[in-house]
Amino acid sequence: MIQLTNITKSFGRHQVLNKIDLTVQKGEVVVILGPSGSGKTTLLRCVNYLEKPNDGEILIGDYRLNCKHASKKDIYQLRQKSAMVFQQYNLFKHKTALENVMEGLVVVKKLSKEEAKTRSIALLEKVGLGSKLDAYPSQLSGGQQQRVGIARALALEPEVILFDEPTSALDPELVGEVLAVIRKIAKEGITMIVVTHEMGFARDVANHVVFMDGGVIVEEGTPVELFNNPQEERTKQFLKRITPELNYSI
Amino acid sequence: MGAPFDITYVFGYLPKLLSTLGMTLLIVGGSLLVGIVVGFLIALPRLYRIPMLNTLARIYVSFFRGTPILIQLFLFYYGLPEILKLAHLDISKAPVLVFVIITYGLHTGAFMSETIRASVTAVDRGQVEAAYAVGMTSYQAFTRIMLPQAMAIAVPVFSNLVIALLKDTSLAFSLGVMEMTGKAQTLGSLTQHFIEAYISLALIYLVVSMTLEKLLLIAERRLLRHEETDSTGHRRFRLEQKSSYRRMVASVDAGKGGTEV
Ligand SMILES: Nc1ncnc2c1ncn2[C@@H]1O[C@H](COP(=O)(O)OP(=O)(O)OP(=O)(O)O)[C@@H](O)[C@H]1O
Ligand SMILES: [Mg+2]
Repeated sequence: MIQLTNITKSFGRHQVLNKIDLTVQKGEVVVILGPSGSGKTTLLRCVNYLEKPNDGEILIGDYRLNCKHASKKDIYQLRQKSAMVFQQYNLFKHKTALENVMEGLVVVKKLSKEEAKTRSIALLEKVGLGSKLDAYPSQLSGGQQQRVGIARALALEPEVILFDEPTSALDPELVGEVLAVIRKIAKEGITMIVVTHEMGFARDVANHVVFMDGGVIVEEGTPVELFNNPQEERTKQFLKRITPELNYSI
Repeated sequence: MGAPFDITYVFGYLPKLLSTLGMTLLIVGGSLLVGIVVGFLIALPRLYRIPMLNTLARIYVSFFRGTPILIQLFLFYYGLPEILKLAHLDISKAPVLVFVIITYGLHTGAFMSETIRASVTAVDRGQVEAAYAVGMTSYQAFTRIMLPQAMAIAVPVFSNLVIALLKDTSLAFSLGVMEMTGKAQTLGSLTQHFIEAYISLALIYLVVSMTLEKLLLIAERRLLRHEETDSTGHRRFRLEQKSSYRRMVASVDAGKGGTEV
């Protein structure tokens, strides 16, 4: 289980997250929606401490961290509980696809090279890149790079994988292949928090949808509840803007 | 002036000059070692924007970039013992070579720090975040992700620095160190065949520069092998990299002899 309590974050005087509480059950796929600047990225980055929250508590699996008293060691511990898939892939450019996936296993999890290699090859095959093991990121398409990014995240066997708009940097024809991989791993019961603007994906795959605006969670619920019967005015406005066709179904 | 030109002297001088090549290379090697260490020490406060140290580092770089190396040599040779005397350290008896290596080292360090700073800045921050996200410590992220890529970016600038340094060492003889240029000067004075001595000297510098350049190019190729592309579709990334790298090279290179940017 992942539980965020009272997560608060400001950049200077600009408060970006205001006392966020969010609970994610094991195996759940949570989709976070919200307009630009609402704090979605910042929230994900706080969960694995790429941003330091000013206040609040993060529980991942059996590890609890109070943001007010987090030592460097606590932060390393926490980070090992989650993995992140970035909008810009952020692959290690000087390493091959295989080395990208192995890196965390060898350096952080201290697996032997052979063990890491076997595991990494299996994962790259799973995301459909069994033939690209030795390709460098500069030799891969965006969709392929993102699938390496997903394999790299899976390799760590984290409690939760955080996806920040995993398909929004991709050419439209490559979005499908990446979403298909995310769907596949969602079915395997891996806990995920996904920020995305892909409404179709959110409807099909999510167990739980969260709508954020202005640094707070405005509304949350099942996809059916949130998409078909939103309660809050801000949610309705947002959904109307992003999916005009929804007007029919109400 | 001098004796009539005689090409045989050019060849005659080569082995004599080569006997002092070791000294020249010793100065280059020693200064590079000092320069790399100093370069990191100066670059770090600037990269991490550590308040006071950052300003000191900038002043340091400005000084070494903005004053002639010859003056730096004299300043350190005559000035350093005086300053250390205040701390009751007597180094006036230390060999000249020590002063020469310290000066060239500090000088190279200033340029090296700019190279390190620019190269580290050129590696995209996202990869470091990805490294943190897989659970690496900041040290691991720096040495495993940042450094190898920064080095690949830095190598071309670094090779320019090494070659500039090689040529700059020709001024060491003004403090009386018997390196190649000093030797050429002496040989010329003895025989009055100055031109032949200098031609011979130029030849050696040229061959050494070219060899160093070749070696460093091989290193660059090795470090940049991840940028080789096999499909035309993905050249864009490479071109972008190249242009950003060119910008960086330009900003670092233009500095040689200029002042702080
Ligand atoms: N490092 C930073 N320094 C200062 N302000 C920041 C920083 N990162 C984010 N912000 C601000 O915080 C707010 C929330 O940003 P965030 O990136 O979390 O939004 P988002 O919901 O992910 O938006 P988008 O849909 O555009 O990705 C924005 O107003 C942004 O300008
Ligand atoms: Mg965002």
